[in-house]
Amino acid sequence: MLPSTHQYGYESTYNAIDLGVHEYLISGLDQNISIQKQLEHQAVPLAYPIAIMLDSAATQLVNASQVHPLHNSQFPDGGMFSYLSKNDRIRTLSALENLKLDLYLLPSPFQNNGGMVKFITDALNRFSMFGYYSEWPAYGTTRLNPPGYRTLEFFPPGWFLVGYPGVSLGYRDFRGFLLTMAEVNT
Amino acid sequence: MRTEPDVIVIGAGAGGPVIAKELGELGIRVLVLDAGPWYGNKKWPEPNKNRGQVKESSDPKDLDGALYRNQLTRLENDMDDLINGKFRWGPADRRRSPWFRNVPDRSLLWQVSGIGGGTLHYYSNSPRAFPEAIDNEWPISYNELIPYYEKVEATLPVEFAPTTTKEALFYFGAEKAGYSMNQTLDVTSTGYRPQPNAILPPNENLMNPNYSMEEISHMEGCTLSGLCGQGCPYGPSLEKMAKRSTVVSYVPLAMETGNVSFRPNTFVTKVLTENTAGGERRATGVEIRDTWTGETEELRAKVVVMAAGCFETPRLWLNSDLPYNSWVGRGLTNHYMDAVTGTFDESTLMEIVGSPSTYPFAGHTSGARLDYPGVGMIETLGESPGIAAQSLFGFSQYGYNSLQQNDSNMWDQRGRLVGSELDEAMKNYSRTLSLLIITDDEVQYSNRVELDPHIEDEHGPVPIIHYSPSERSKKRREELTKIATNILRKAGAKQVHRSDLPPNYFIHIHSTMRMGYVVDSSCEAYQVERLFIADNSVDYNGLGGPNPTATTQALATRTAEKLALKYFS
Repeated sequence: MLPSTHQYGYESTYNAIDLGVHEYLISGLDQNISIQKQLEHQAVPLAYPIAIMLDSAATQLVNASQVHPLHNSQFPDGGMFSYLSKNDRIRTLSALENLKLDLYLLPSPFQNNGGMVKFITDALNRFSMFGYYSEWPAYGTTRLNPPGYRTLEFFPPGWFLVGYPGVSLGYRDFRGFLLTMAEVNT
Repeated sequence: MRTEPDVIVIGAGAGGPVIAKELGELGIRVLVLDAGPWYGNKKWPEPNKNRGQVKESSDPKDLDGALYRNQLTRLENDMDDLINGKFRWGPADRRRSPWFRNVPDRSLLWQVSGIGGGTLHYYSNSPRAFPEAIDNEWPISYNELIPYYEKVEATLPVEFAPTTTKEALFYFGAEKAGYSMNQTLDVTSTGYRPQPNAILPPNENLMNPNYSMEEISHMEGCTLSGLCGQGCPYGPSLEKMAKRSTVVSYVPLAMETGNVSFRPNTFVTKVLTENTAGGERRATGVEIRDTWTGETEELRAKVVVMAAGCFETPRLWLNSDLPYNSWVGRGLTNHYMDAVTGTFDESTLMEIVGSPSTYPFAGHTSGARLDYPGVGMIETLGESPGIAAQSLFGFSQYGYNSLQQNDSNMWDQRGRLVGSELDEAMKNYSRTLSLLIITDDEVQYSNRVELDPHIEDEHGPVPIIHYSPSERSKKRREELTKIATNILRKAGAKQVHRSDLPPNYFIHIHSTMRMGYVVDSSCEAYQVERLFIADNSVDYNGLGGPNPTATTQALATRTAEKLALKYFS
């Protein structure tokens, strides 16, 4: 869903994969939810079941001839989702989000759990965009450290792309007041 | 606090510190508990890494502006990541997961634990409610609230936002669209105006090139550094920081009274009660859990105030087995929001505002508004790239723009953008103006917070949240979206994108413990003596559309007066 490199002629450093956005997604999804089990409090890692869910959804749509797999996967050992074109992957996400699939065939904790499927499918979009356009990739070699142990190693590529100059102490853009409290309190 | 406090306040967000300061000034001893960390307090130099040497702090000398500045990096991922940002709903230890709320739908929740709560992250918008949304609706009148609004506005203080490029463009569009300026705090007709914001006016030397920006950032006043949601650490000292989160306003003032102590890292799991001789239930204290050690403890007081927010307050009521009330957690409103983003040509911008960019990242994040009593409001929005991408182009009930047939001539694009569309939209970031649509949504009994029957965290059953707008709310949102789009077009936008945000977008949350149903007009629970509420949950409705914080702070000021009179006079 993110802009790709060669298509738009950017340097290879702006590729979402090189930026590690998938790692941002995986670590975030694995940390997003934790619950109390009988004796211990533990995280519910979601990245792996989400991957299975995407493959399962892709397979259902392929079987229904709604999407069409390519001859090769982009990734070694990739499942059905990775055999789809970009557009078909978006179609798969859309089908999941609209629950236009057999939810019984999805893995736990998504099986017959429409609310959770909607929540997570939406989150995949948002997290990807936040990972790509925030400063996260610029934590470089420290980006997978715990949040308090990271340092910015270069200027965030997403910020550069959109023309955001980065954290600022202030801007001399004061154009006066249209209205003041003194005026309305009299 | 060495001896038992008179009052325990649960939550140090928008409301808790206000009631604490007011009570403290009357000589009443208050302990305020909050589940999250404390930024800017020397007792917790590394609040996200360890639990600190002490449990609470009441000495204003503990407050440290330099430390606050060091901790609030203003980096969007570091501050606002929903999973492990410094401003999140979760424990101080960022290696741990956030606290789970089950919203079985597309959803985005901006809630913050910590001293300051949601005001760490808020844009400081402090408008009063629309009078018509209070009068003949609430059990109290708008006039009754005015002196409390005035006190809050003077204390924070509140001032109308200064004009920067994006506000100038908005005012131009609003004028062209036929609206005029509403020169008032008490809005009874449609019009635009600057946002009344709890942000100090810019320093008089901001535009003076003889002062460096570094120098100005250590002086009093807003530096127009933008992106208020990432926290504001600019000012000469902690209590003079430009953005008036309660952690830099009401918290220091409360500590100055010598009667108020704040305790972070403390999650309240239960309100304790006893039965009186007359057969009534009465609050006697709370059960707490230390978020670092897991130790539990019971604390006693004469009065308990819940100010934990619209999800946590009803959850706490239900987890405490307090008396059954069919309206606890019910009637949730959230201003059913939408957003439109206009993209402008450089030449148009040069002509209208004399600059090649809208500078969405400069000035108050939300500095201008259009009020429309009976329907809602519209406000300007200038977010950082990652937050703008995810909340404007990544979050929609419409689905993917590229998969839909565009059958509208109102909007060039609608819904989620991906690939080259997203790339294009974000490359225009510095020439965009976004408007947030905030609907006067109707109270419905079916919109609710309840306990999840299957999922618990370390504090008991988690809240499960359901919200779906009424037909009237949907119509109102549609009308506001058209008005906002028209303002952008009139301002010269070449392209307009409509986000079509999903209903479960929780920024302004209200009315889950409504006055007249769960609490009386003094905000004391009908069914539990000595138990008060001081957060947005007591709102009878969604205030007509205006941002909720000022009203919560005015009500908390009023509740302090009532509470003191009844139990401590």
